[in-house]
Amino acid sequence: MKNSKYPTYDVMEQQEHWDEHTRSIVSSRLVREHGYRFLTTVEAETLRAWCPLLVDDTRADIIQYVLCHIDETLEKNKGESQRKPGVPPERELLRSGLKAMEQAALSAHGRNFFHLDEETRRKLLTELSQADAEPSSVWNGVPQKELFGKVLALTVESYYSHPTVWSEIGYGGPAYPRGYVRTNIGQLDPWEAKAEP
Amino acid sequence: MIERRYEQEEVDFVIVGAGAAGGVLAKELAEAGMSVVVLEAGPWRDPQHDFASDELSMKSLGWQETRLVSGSDPLTMGHNNSGYGVGGGTTHFTGVFLRFHASDFMTRTVDGVGEDWPIRYEDLEPFYDRSEREIAVSGPKHFPWGEFHGPYPYPEREPLSPNAYLFKIGCEKLAIRTVTSPLAILSAPFEGRPPCINRGFCNQGCMPNSKFSTLIVHVPKAVRAGAEVLADCMVTQVLMGADGRARGVAFRHEGREYEQRAKIVILSAFVVENPRLLLNSANAQFPDGLANSSGWVGRGIMVHSSHDVYGKFDEEVRLYKGTPVLASTQELYATDPKRGFARGYTLHAHGSRPLAIAQGITRSQPLDLKPNVPQAGVGSGSPPVWGERLRHMMLDYNHYSRVTLVGETLPGADNRVTLADEKDENGLPRAKVNYSYCDNDMKLIKHAVQTMSSIIKAAGGTPEFVVPDTAHLMGGCRMGTDPSSSVTDSFGRTHDIPNLYICDASLFVTSSGCNPTNTVMALAYRTAAHLIDKAKKLELQALQSRA
Repeated sequence: MKNSKYPTYDVMEQQEHWDEHTRSIVSSRLVREHGYRFLTTVEAETLRAWCPLLVDDTRADIIQYVLCHIDETLEKNKGESQRKPGVPPERELLRSGLKAMEQAALSAHGRNFFHLDEETRRKLLTELSQADAEPSSVWNGVPQKELFGKVLALTVESYYSHPTVWSEIGYGGPAYPRGYVRTNIGQLDPWEAKAEP
Repeated sequence: MIERRYEQEEVDFVIVGAGAAGGVLAKELAEAGMSVVVLEAGPWRDPQHDFASDELSMKSLGWQETRLVSGSDPLTMGHNNSGYGVGGGTTHFTGVFLRFHASDFMTRTVDGVGEDWPIRYEDLEPFYDRSEREIAVSGPKHFPWGEFHGPYPYPEREPLSPNAYLFKIGCEKLAIRTVTSPLAILSAPFEGRPPCINRGFCNQGCMPNSKFSTLIVHVPKAVRAGAEVLADCMVTQVLMGADGRARGVAFRHEGREYEQRAKIVILSAFVVENPRLLLNSANAQFPDGLANSSGWVGRGIMVHSSHDVYGKFDEEVRLYKGTPVLASTQELYATDPKRGFARGYTLHAHGSRPLAIAQGITRSQPLDLKPNVPQAGVGSGSPPVWGERLRHMMLDYNHYSRVTLVGETLPGADNRVTLADEKDENGLPRAKVNYSYCDNDMKLIKHAVQTMSSIIKAAGGTPEFVVPDTAHLMGGCRMGTDPSSSVTDSFGRTHDIPNLYICDASLFVTSSGCNPTNTVMALAYRTAAHLIDKAKKLELQALQSRA
């Protein structure tokens, strides 16, 4: 198990040095909000069993933020920037994809996807990522790679926007109005994360 | 409801899009005393309150509405290559401010590829001077490549970032000359704006106002000179008269339709939306879309190949520190017959934040430095990286350095914007963007990935992976002298409709191998000067005819 090089660094300790807008955006990610506007409970639980494997992290509060982000993105429906022809719009892709994963789990293992053990879930996701998921009757009409890629993109963009994860990778975080002063190789501003042996 | 000054009037100019070009045009034309209305699809933001030091929330600076992307290298759109809101892409560009070289305007003559532009470097030179002076571009005392060798209006940035220093070390070992990048980012105070504090969030919107954008420079000046700038107004159609001239535009604001009449309509809505608007404005007189008698509306779109090579170092690099691009080289810019492909590229040391690098890793490809094996492009390659491998790589975030390519791609007629059958929420057909690299593009990418890897190695790092990516969009309404193979003349005036102009990166004939914003703005200054000159002559004629 590989661990953080910065175990005691907490980027949130710096929040008084951030502008108010940024502070409100970042600290809202720490709130455990549970109301879903787009996802059904079953869809959310399927994702709760899915997203942690994508980022190799099962911490409940961070994964809850990821689920809330996915829900909010789908609810707001602002646009996907790009989509390939023939691939359904993301709401439809996610909805039909989560349903297909449920049915695939039920047909192969007789259990809900979120009741499967980690290894079985990982195997299903690996197959999905390579467009090898079965049975075809369940996956018919669901572009597998696009589905896997869409959930991965939504998960990764929110997971790596969580301040706890920023702290672990030693990212300096928001930097206005302070900026950086010491920027030579090996130099650190006093508030930056220091690697701990 | 929307408050409008010219609701019942015909203004001199209506400009669609308030980005790099639209901002310059609005300022220049308004300051010359013309009546100007600018319509911008996105919002009007206040940098100090609406921007944030945050990648995820600032994705909204890009055009997020869905485009359909096809071809063998389907493009990543959105924040990657477009803007949404007053300022357009200048709100989130890296600020790199380079000039094209003389050869960029004549690739057909020089290298037998692409097409020649109807203008030469000398035609744009005075406007490059202007665009750099008006925003106090910072840069080196001596710039070794191309036609312009400095000095820049403002001194080069100092200090740089750890990633930029490593890049310079690596290049020096390989005898590749580098410079501190010419940037539209202040190195000293200018017009009430402060110098850069090395915050590093150029791509998320500059909060201190140290980086230029038309949002904070040109648009406020345009407004002071009397221009009306209307945000959240999506233009849906160019309105045509029975005489074959443009009457104005139709636009939508908060669900309601409006019209703005104008003597001259200028489209500065960028590479995707200009063709979309022209094609969607087709009528009985122009059944294939406006200004499209050549069939070139939407064709010949180009990107820059923009692969990133990440290398790992024993010591910390910390890619988040400082302005993302601070060191560059154009040593490999010119065609070298020994390399086996035409044209060339710029390389930048380029910072990266957690979201960008993590998403990059999921799409990353192993480095394949063997000759004659193509480096995987955008649309192909190995399966996504996720799970433990992704997390482990990200735990080493602070040990990665990154070099980024800005590579020339050749124009192809089939790389194009068309209308899809699918409609957006307003009932407008979505844009479909088809893109595939050609063989020359792939060879250039391969060469560049090898060079970037050598630079990282020479600096003491281990090149680890490459992220296939693109940057910038150009072409789609290219300029030219021949109306049968181009959409506009060199000033952006469409060959088919005398009072319909296009002015922005969609006019580009070739892509060059460097960042396009300076050239977009120089073209806008040139078009503005042409229009002002024309208006003065007309005024003179009117006076003479009255006398």
